[in-house]
Amino acid sequence: MKKIFYTIASLSLMLCIFLNSCKEDILTIENPNTLTEAEFWKTEDDAQKGLNAAYAMFYKPGLWSRWIYFRLDLTSDEGYSKSPWIELADWTRFQYINYNFWEGNVVTWRDTYKAIFRCNQVLDKVPGITFADPAKQKQIVAQAKFLRALHYYHAALLWENVPIVLNASKPDDQPKQSTLAEVWAQVEKDLTEAEADLPVTWDAPNVGRPTKGAVRGYLARTLMQQRKWNEAKTALDYFFTGQGKDKYSLVSKFRDNFTADLENNSESVFEIQFSDVNKGGDGDDPNATMSNNRPQFFAPRSIGWSDGQARFWLVNAFKEEPTLSGGIDERLRYTLFYPDLTKDFGDKIYGRNWEWDNNEAWFKKYSRDYYRNNEDYFAQNNYRLIRYADILLMYAEVLNELSLTTTAAPYVDLVRARANHAPLATAYPAALLSKDAFRERIKKERVLELCGESVRWADLKRWGDLETAAKVSQVAQRDPDFNNFVVGKHIRLPLPQDEVLNNPNLVQNPLY
Amino acid sequence: MNVSLFLQSKGGNRSWHPTKDNQSNIRVSWTMLLILFQLFINLIAGAQQLTSVSGTVTDVKGEKLIGVSVKVKGTNRGGSTDSNGRYSLNAVDANSTLVFTYVGFSTLEVPVNGRSRVDVKLQDQTTELSQVVVVGYGTQQKKDLTGAVSVVKSADIQKRQATTVAEAMQGLASGVNIRGGGQPGSEAQIQIRGLKNLSNTNPLYVIDGMITTANRDFNPNDIESLQILKDASAAAIYGSRAANGVIIITTKQGKEGPMKVDFSGKSSIQTIPRYDLAGTEEFSRLNFMAYDNAGATRQNLNTEINTNWQDEAFRTGNIQDYNLSFSGGSKNGGYMVSTNYYGNKGTVIDTKFDRLSFRVNTRGSKGIFSIGENLAISNAKADEMSGNPIIDVVRLLPTIPVFDPANPGGYGYGSESRARTFGTNPVAIADLEDRTNENLRIRGNIWSELGILKSLKYRLNVGYETSNDHYNYLRKKGNWTLNQPADPTIVNENRAGSSNALIENTLTFNKQFQKHKVTLLAGQTYQNQKYQQIWGTKRNLVPNSNGSYYTQLDQGNEPQTGGFIQKAILLSYLGRAEYSFADKYLLNAVFRRDGTSRLNEKNQWGNFPSFSAAWRLSEEPFFKNSLVNDLKLRASWGKLGSSNIGYWDYLATINNFSTIAMGQDQHIEAGATQVKLVNNDLRWETLAQTNIGLDASLLQNRFSFSAEYFIADTKDVLTGMPIALTTGNDGGNPLVNAASLKNSGFEFSGTYRQHKKDLDFSVTANLTTLKNKVTNLGYGRSKIFVGNTVTELGQPIGMWYVLETDGLFQTPEEVNDYKNEQGKIIQPNAKPGDIRFKDNNGDGQITNADKSVVAKSNPDYQLGLNFNVSFKRVSFNMDWFGAFGSTIFNGPRSVTDRFDDNSNYRAGIQPWTPENPDTSVPRAYYGSTLNSRGDTDRWLEDGSFLRLKYVSLAYALPASTIKRVGLANASISLSAQNILTFTKYTGLDPEFSNGSIYEKGYDFGAFPNVRMISLGLQLGF
Repeated sequence: MKKIFYTIASLSLMLCIFLNSCKEDILTIENPNTLTEAEFWKTEDDAQKGLNAAYAMFYKPGLWSRWIYFRLDLTSDEGYSKSPWIELADWTRFQYINYNFWEGNVVTWRDTYKAIFRCNQVLDKVPGITFADPAKQKQIVAQAKFLRALHYYHAALLWENVPIVLNASKPDDQPKQSTLAEVWAQVEKDLTEAEADLPVTWDAPNVGRPTKGAVRGYLARTLMQQRKWNEAKTALDYFFTGQGKDKYSLVSKFRDNFTADLENNSESVFEIQFSDVNKGGDGDDPNATMSNNRPQFFAPRSIGWSDGQARFWLVNAFKEEPTLSGGIDERLRYTLFYPDLTKDFGDKIYGRNWEWDNNEAWFKKYSRDYYRNNEDYFAQNNYRLIRYADILLMYAEVLNELSLTTTAAPYVDLVRARANHAPLATAYPAALLSKDAFRERIKKERVLELCGESVRWADLKRWGDLETAAKVSQVAQRDPDFNNFVVGKHIRLPLPQDEVLNNPNLVQNPLY
Repeated sequence: MNVSLFLQSKGGNRSWHPTKDNQSNIRVSWTMLLILFQLFINLIAGAQQLTSVSGTVTDVKGEKLIGVSVKVKGTNRGGSTDSNGRYSLNAVDANSTLVFTYVGFSTLEVPVNGRSRVDVKLQDQTTELSQVVVVGYGTQQKKDLTGAVSVVKSADIQKRQATTVAEAMQGLASGVNIRGGGQPGSEAQIQIRGLKNLSNTNPLYVIDGMITTANRDFNPNDIESLQILKDASAAAIYGSRAANGVIIITTKQGKEGPMKVDFSGKSSIQTIPRYDLAGTEEFSRLNFMAYDNAGATRQNLNTEINTNWQDEAFRTGNIQDYNLSFSGGSKNGGYMVSTNYYGNKGTVIDTKFDRLSFRVNTRGSKGIFSIGENLAISNAKADEMSGNPIIDVVRLLPTIPVFDPANPGGYGYGSESRARTFGTNPVAIADLEDRTNENLRIRGNIWSELGILKSLKYRLNVGYETSNDHYNYLRKKGNWTLNQPADPTIVNENRAGSSNALIENTLTFNKQFQKHKVTLLAGQTYQNQKYQQIWGTKRNLVPNSNGSYYTQLDQGNEPQTGGFIQKAILLSYLGRAEYSFADKYLLNAVFRRDGTSRLNEKNQWGNFPSFSAAWRLSEEPFFKNSLVNDLKLRASWGKLGSSNIGYWDYLATINNFSTIAMGQDQHIEAGATQVKLVNNDLRWETLAQTNIGLDASLLQNRFSFSAEYFIADTKDVLTGMPIALTTGNDGGNPLVNAASLKNSGFEFSGTYRQHKKDLDFSVTANLTTLKNKVTNLGYGRSKIFVGNTVTELGQPIGMWYVLETDGLFQTPEEVNDYKNEQGKIIQPNAKPGDIRFKDNNGDGQITNADKSVVAKSNPDYQLGLNFNVSFKRVSFNMDWFGAFGSTIFNGPRSVTDRFDDNSNYRAGIQPWTPENPDTSVPRAYYGSTLNSRGDTDRWLEDGSFLRLKYVSLAYALPASTIKRVGLANASISLSAQNILTFTKYTGLDPEFSNGSIYEKGYDFGAFPNVRMISLGLQLGF
């Protein structure tokens, strides 16, 4: 009996010790892997990192590392797809069947809002952080506003009727749909607010962040899409009569706009800073890629995926007007791979002779054929979202729309001069005679200078070329994919179907 | 008489024990004395005719049973069988009856009738009502169960050739649905009583008291018993982790007696089911047709080549499974040592799985103290599959050669001019990508028990499991698909370790007061789980001289590393009260309180009670029925929980991994932000389950059955419910206590057995029906759309939601006549041979708005049938399994039956042509997805099937033969698995698994169950 008593006593003791060691607070285990959200957004450094994470969205596949080029370049009449991946190709020719198609639609939508969420976090949290220098705080907020505006600008171009989300999200948010006009207004507001706190130029370590000029460039684009020509002129005056005067110039060699060799040059108004330092994937993991996949997807067959290529009419467009010295416009040499490239300029294609069909062409801009014979997912060339040549052509277009056609011409001439073309007054006097004729000339000048630079879809929309069946059929002569184009429908993408189904506040775009 | 009874109960049993060697002389003389005494008593008691009786006790297969207790009925006299299964009793009344009892077997009573030799066969009783069932922190007899528990015979598991326990269980228990892997080393999915949540269906495994998983590291040959706790009252003792059911496994222990050596060896060959695909002649004819119809220039197909990609990617696999065990013990202890090698060469090239495992189970006792341990060590290594050959063999064209020296790496694949496909060459990817996964696992527990009082027992159970995991990935140089980027060589290696520690203290009180039987259990447990991984990657490896590379991480450049930790703790208090009165009225109450580290502080604790009762009508005096031997009604209600979620899902974290290039020098700066949204106030998911059951045994126990009806309501289901992408969330949908689900079902399991002289016959059938309904969805939703499914309130999860097809247009007139009410032509661009879709919303065009719910994906009922016949030394066994009423989306057929994109075609496919209009396949048309869109009912098929899962013929060698070579028993068997299936499904296998909760019925090219033929040998020494 005594033995039993001792046993029970010692057992109870053991249990007590054990239970005490297992106090209930042991159930709270700190996550040793990473910061919690509650610990973050406290310091200036946190603010800077939060902002940088928003920049990192440029590297995501739905945006500027891959698929957005399919929407902007291939859907337009400049590009098309002969991809054996039929569904992928269908999404460049207005055959939208499954609106949930990830690569064609959903990933770009997802990454757009992912980027906006990152901007919104900065905009919600940074004002609450104490900064030694309040100007720095304002600059961070202004950059986030610029980036948010940039993403809404492209969302407006692609889907038009998108929800506007302006605060850091909660899981159960089901935001309301906005009209295109409301989205444009939000972009204008963000840009206007951003401009006040952004510098004219950045110091060397911060080159690549948006300047007042970058803001004005996007503001002008936003206003021009709405055909608010007066306001657009005011926005662009910055470069010619405002603080931005003499801050920008065309680089002497056209090709320096597309390689990794002369990035952030005098022609650059805003560019995405790509790098090949990381070789990881495109998720949010360590070593995530900071590179552009575009050349791997756009390189000719057997070099890259060749999911996108250029329409052949572009080659002919370059050859319409010989240079002053009687040669071929050198911009062609750095814009396209085409059958006569070797004959015309002596350049091979990734070290190869032309081995493709005689009516085919590919985009050479941003390719790395200038120093290697293949491609991969890690192109490091910065992507120039706005360069000064575009500003000049935009300004000319705006002035022409305001009936200042003769004032407009010299800005076009600057661009032409670099390509060794005579001024418009000499080469195309008729173009100066009417607003319409000048507009038609601008259309040509823009495609020769900017083709393959993701501006064509906005151009076609702005020019009204997609608004009537008659005009669309003209576009279709250059790009037969437009034979599938239904006026009033395909001018915007369908919203991802699951978004519409899972958010009762959204209505699918018309006719879809 | 009383005197002799008293004396015998003091020492008689022990002294009658036949293990002669270890009996002391004193005990032998005790025995002599007792026999004399007994004789004397018998003599004076009257005129009895005495005889001596001897014989052999075997099981139905003729295997000798050692240690069977043999008693003379009505006395305490008796003995037990020796190592040859023999017994002999002296001075037995010639008219008495012998009672044979043995653990795990039915008790048998045989009248002596004056014979001197009585040989008996004992019936294995594992499906009978009187068996002992492990119910978690204790055992109960099946007749005393008040909850729903299924018991699977270990022999039924071990007879099949399977990597994991789960795979071997299909069709053996009602209410349990298993979908197995098929690939070497792959693990099966188990679903007990339907989808009760939206995250995970795997049950909790308890192996010898250790809470763990019976993954591929676990050797199924070690199983002694397996029980499945299905309802809330049975599973409630495991509280918060029991919502998906609990599978309790007890491993083999050494039994009293001299050492037994058992060897079993199985050798199997495996084949994979195949598609019937076009060869070059048929392919090129159809391909040209598709191009011609589209007005496209034909591709320059290489018709010289006729590659059968299935021959290239698939092969005959095999399995070698050898098991050797040693066991034995004495009254006070036992040991069991087993070792197993399991090797599987996969049916897909370059895949294999190897497992070496080792187990030692021992136990011992002295006085009131006993102690034991179970320890298993295993090393498993899988050479994993790269790509998905099940789809690759369909996507590649027969005109593509396997090898093509012109391509980097030397393999053939698509070409722009000759074969426009991005299909992956399975031979290339198998060679160019190497993945191996190796785990060394040590799993075991030590327990000790102290019988403090006769009725009070304290038990301490300390379990520990640790693993050492090693994953290796090598990417060699070369391509496997058209236009692939120039990837450098890459090596990625990760090393990880896990640990799982469990400490349990339980006190059990057990007492019988006359007709009242009470068992009380109280306990406290603590479990700590941890996983830690580090990884590294390098590129541009140095080639070695034999065509591969130096793959150590020292080599190469562009290093990347990473690592992370996961930790969780569960703290619990538990209690159970069992009460029975006269074996008639049974009551059972369970309570468990669990605290988890996986939820935030406010919501960490959850309470999980359950109550159950049973009434054995057959014990009532008014119930006198010669047909019915046993009849019991059961009812239970209980609450279970689930926090089957990630480690810190309630905690919003900052992702520090972004980097950006910035500045004139393009330097790198760090970024940090919240990527994944989080719901901080996550709570326990709770499941309330009601179960009504009936157990009966009829016709002298020849027929027994159990029937159950259950209703399970899950509330606050923790799920990553899809949220709007406009939130900007990434990294998976945040968990939320969103939905409520209701499952109800009926389960029946019945066995009929007959024993006639040399013939034994038994048949078991089990039937499961299941209804699943969503009663509430989170975020105020009424529907969730995932892929081609919709999940709606009041409906089962994952209904098929697609466009409806309505045959093909035969003429241009039919196209023009197909109008809506306003007279608008619905498909104006259609041509004869195109699919006619139903314009369900009548708006005159075909859009996503025309989609409708057309079918559910889960089966209405499933059926398992097991037949056993044995005649003398030959036994025949058959297991059937079927599921009926399901609808499957045939993903591979949506590839083989499309003409818009280049992939191989189904052999014999007849696309519509003006000459051949009588077909359901639309015209072949290259380059437009319209006729082959993936979101239509064209790909839905009846998924019902009935399958012969297992069939075997076994022969036990006659004792006279094997004795000469020193064997105690020997048998050989020939068996086959999955060799016969009745189904209308045209895919490879209707019995596949898809990990997505919403798309369970979507066959994405899932790995099929392989066919197998095995030869087995079993030897006992």
